[in-house]
Amino acid sequence: MLTCKQLVERSGDLLDNRMSLRTRISMRTHLLMCINCRRFIKHMRLSQAVVRRLPVEESAALDSLAARLSEIRQGKQRGNHQS
Amino acid sequence: MNYPDDSALLARLLSGEQKAYRELVATYQGAMRAVAFAIVGSRNADEVVQDAWLAVVNNLEGFQGRSSLKTWLLTITANTAKTRLKHNRREVLIDDLPGPHGTIGDEHFADDGHWLLAPHAWHQDTPEKLLMEVELRECLEKTLVSLSASQGSVLLLRERQGLELEEICNLLDISLSNVRVLLHRARLKVFATLEHFEETGKC
Ligand SMILES: [Zn+2]
Repeated sequence: MLTCKQLVERSGDLLDNRMSLRTRISMRTHLLMCINCRRFIKHMRLSQAVVRRLPVEESAALDSLAARLSEIRQGKQRGNHQS
Repeated sequence: MNYPDDSALLARLLSGEQKAYRELVATYQGAMRAVAFAIVGSRNADEVVQDAWLAVVNNLEGFQGRSSLKTWLLTITANTAKTRLKHNRREVLIDDLPGPHGTIGDEHFADDGHWLLAPHAWHQDTPEKLLMEVELRECLEKTLVSLSASQGSVLLLRERQGLELEEICNLLDISLSNVRVLLHRARLKVFATLEHFEETGKC
């Protein structure tokens, strides 16, 4: 039988849904019986969602980068029309 | 073109529309930075990303829509970074630094493989509620910064950018088993931080 420690070691395969049928069944069986591991997996999924939604600062540097890139592009367009 | 959203954006990019570039940069800068960071490290990452953006703008006509725009951008970034590295040795990619709140390791389990201490119950059960705590957000930022370049990048590319593990392998030239190890370690450190915060109310 899968131990809790082994389940934690393989939890990534569960989160990424990359398990053989056999592993999937042994993980499911373990989770049915083990409240600690159920809680662990639930919280791992919650951690994933938190990382996904963690706000990032929009920086002014990105605006100036975008402005520069579109200028380069516009310059290229003009060049193409002239040639 | 197989990616309709990309094709609409591409038309606007080709015409040089500034708003389209703002969208592009805001959407992909983070992922491009993660790729560059994993390959060349923090010192040269920003420069690589700059160079990659210039390559993108100058080669827009070359984008055929055979892949998604995102894959194309990240491939250019990875190639730019690898060119930069050509004569330098890659740093060891499987490095592991201690997280501020540890991880879930052997010491959490009894000899028979059962939990020694049950995982803690958390006060909040949605990401929105968890993220309302300013202190927790700052605490998580600290944990993310503490990750090695490769761990942090793999985590970001997988969890925030939704890349498949195989895509990450190809971009960063890391084996699948190493990508899985890096991702697992990073996830456990994030988990440990949340667990610690929910248990103690402090970072
Ligand atoms: Zn268990």
